[in-house]
Amino acid sequence: MNYLLLIPATLLLLLVFGFPLIRYFWLSLHASSVLTGLEPIYNNGANWIRLISDGRFWQDLYQTSRFAVFSVGIEMILALVIALLLNNEWKSKQIYRSITLLPWALPTTIMALSWRWIFNTPYGPIDQILNLIGFNNLNILSNPSLAWVGTVIADVWKTTPFIALILLAGLQTIPVDLYEAFRLEGGSPKQSFLYITLPLLKPYLLLGLIFRLAQAFGVFDLIQVMTGGGPASSTESLAIYSYLNAMRFLDFGYSSTIMLASFMILIFVCLSAYIVTITITNNFRRYKL
Amino acid sequence: MTLTLENLGLCVQRNWIIRNINIEVQPGECLALLGPSGCGKSTTLRLIAGLDKPSEGSISLFNKDLKGISPVNRKIGMVFQSYALFPHLTVVENLALGLKVRGYSIAEQKRRISYVLELLQIATLRNRKPQEISGGQRQRIALARALLRDPLIYLLDEPMSNLDAQLREDLRPELRKLIISGDKPVIYVTHDQQEAMAISNRIAVLNNGNLEQIGTPQELYLKPQSIFVANFIGRPQINMFEPLDSIRIAVRPEDIYLDPDGIQCKLIYKEWLGQNQLLFFDTPKGTIRMIGDTALDIPSEPRITWKKQKEHHFSTKSGKRIS
Ligand SMILES: Nc1ncnc2c1ncn2[C@@H]1O[C@H](COP(=O)(O)OP(=O)(O)OP(=O)(O)O)[C@@H](O)[C@H]1O
Ligand SMILES: [Mg+2]
Repeated sequence: MNYLLLIPATLLLLLVFGFPLIRYFWLSLHASSVLTGLEPIYNNGANWIRLISDGRFWQDLYQTSRFAVFSVGIEMILALVIALLLNNEWKSKQIYRSITLLPWALPTTIMALSWRWIFNTPYGPIDQILNLIGFNNLNILSNPSLAWVGTVIADVWKTTPFIALILLAGLQTIPVDLYEAFRLEGGSPKQSFLYITLPLLKPYLLLGLIFRLAQAFGVFDLIQVMTGGGPASSTESLAIYSYLNAMRFLDFGYSSTIMLASFMILIFVCLSAYIVTITITNNFRRYKL
Repeated sequence: MTLTLENLGLCVQRNWIIRNINIEVQPGECLALLGPSGCGKSTTLRLIAGLDKPSEGSISLFNKDLKGISPVNRKIGMVFQSYALFPHLTVVENLALGLKVRGYSIAEQKRRISYVLELLQIATLRNRKPQEISGGQRQRIALARALLRDPLIYLLDEPMSNLDAQLREDLRPELRKLIISGDKPVIYVTHDQQEAMAISNRIAVLNNGNLEQIGTPQELYLKPQSIFVANFIGRPQINMFEPLDSIRIAVRPEDIYLDPDGIQCKLIYKEWLGQNQLLFFDTPKGTIRMIGDTALDIPSEPRITWKKQKEHHFSTKSGKRIS
């Protein structure tokens, strides 16, 4: 009887989540491109075989993971530091908190465009600073081995506040009493961070991590605007490759295969991240007596 | 190890939260810190524990000034108003964490924890988390943690305020046995005067950050030094009469009795208290409360009075006792 109440939510989920997935899966088993006149023709898993031997797919998978790992990793650490700072009793802390949140409030397209200009050679400030300290004509966004760093920096700038906000909310749920009691018992600041803050922040860390990993793994708009996947596909993400296949090469079958493959990889990545976080935040558990 | 608070005061943003606190607690003595909410009880404990720094005055233990000594080295066994148990750790882990950071070996940790678990009869709860046990059980865990600290001073901040009246009474003997009858100074914060009288050797009454009076429960009851203490200590509340010539007279309800030569009055209503009853009389001096035997016959035109020597006199200006 109780399950009846779940029906609307389940239906909605199936509609917006289940249906596209099944559709992707179905498409991935068919050739559906300009060659077939966009008619889906069952092709015996040829898309999947193509995927496995597609060097560009593996290259993009590597690039996407590199982007996700670096930006989410840096964001988590920076956000934790910022959240810890903002959690202190400061004069006019509200102002700092609001300022911190500003980058996140900007639409991605606009901030990505701004960052393109910030990195611009020779007009952007970064280029001029690099010139001053002796790196001439580094031209970050046009350099195939450096451009991805530029996209990571922009992403970190934009999304750190979001995680910081989640973590700050988490920090504020921890009663001050706990720290004081621990201090009276001889705990050092470092120990209270390890034994109290981290474990109690675990749900919030997980939330931020999973949320951001999923987002970063599917990154599209930021890269599309900043570099368009270039130079020489060096910043191309799986989402962009899939988009190119669908919208430029009009190969919907293969595009769906890429999407589905990255979705499965993402699930695997999130699960691993989940397990890793649980393990490192579970300090001083499993104490047997 | 006598604990001495001398002229202690804390000022936050030009407001004196507490001021001029002079208290001495002997080893083995339990001092109750009694006062209404917000009067500065927790603040006093925090100063003693070293969690806040006093703005003036000093705290010393056995003639040794505690100024500059870190909270850990003061060796305080504190029970927080909220218990402050770690929600993510089991009972055993809660107890072990402090021992661990203080460098006890695993074997020693186990020995000590098993001992207090037995002592407080909470061994069956060892692997539960704080949110999986009852309020009274949490309170025991908090006590166990304070005991494990092997402290020089016990500071108990309203340790029973979250418990129901029945449980409070049940836990009193245990508290007495474990902590209060030891040889350490104990400060027991409460806003329940009955609990204060039941549990402590002496009571310090705080009001608005000031020490109103300090003394044995009997002294406070029989010779309240101020209007505030007279009103605060003793239930049913003392009868305070309208001031006359800048003197305020107060008489306890149990010192009032029926007398044909007394003042004329009218019975308004009665409250049955069990072993006796509380009678409310309307008199020219205002409403007067009297405690009477349940079998007491109230005449239709009652007259009441009290012995002159049972009167408490206070100055209306200072609120202090006269004579
Ligand atoms: N950090 C602070 N800054 C400003 N005022 C404070 C601060 N801490 C406490 N106070 C004030 O000091 C007064 C005493 O607080 P305290 O917590 O000591 O009261 P208490 O006697 O323990 O009350 P309760 O019975 O409610 O626990 C209160 O009026 C409170 O508002
Ligand atoms: Mg308090």
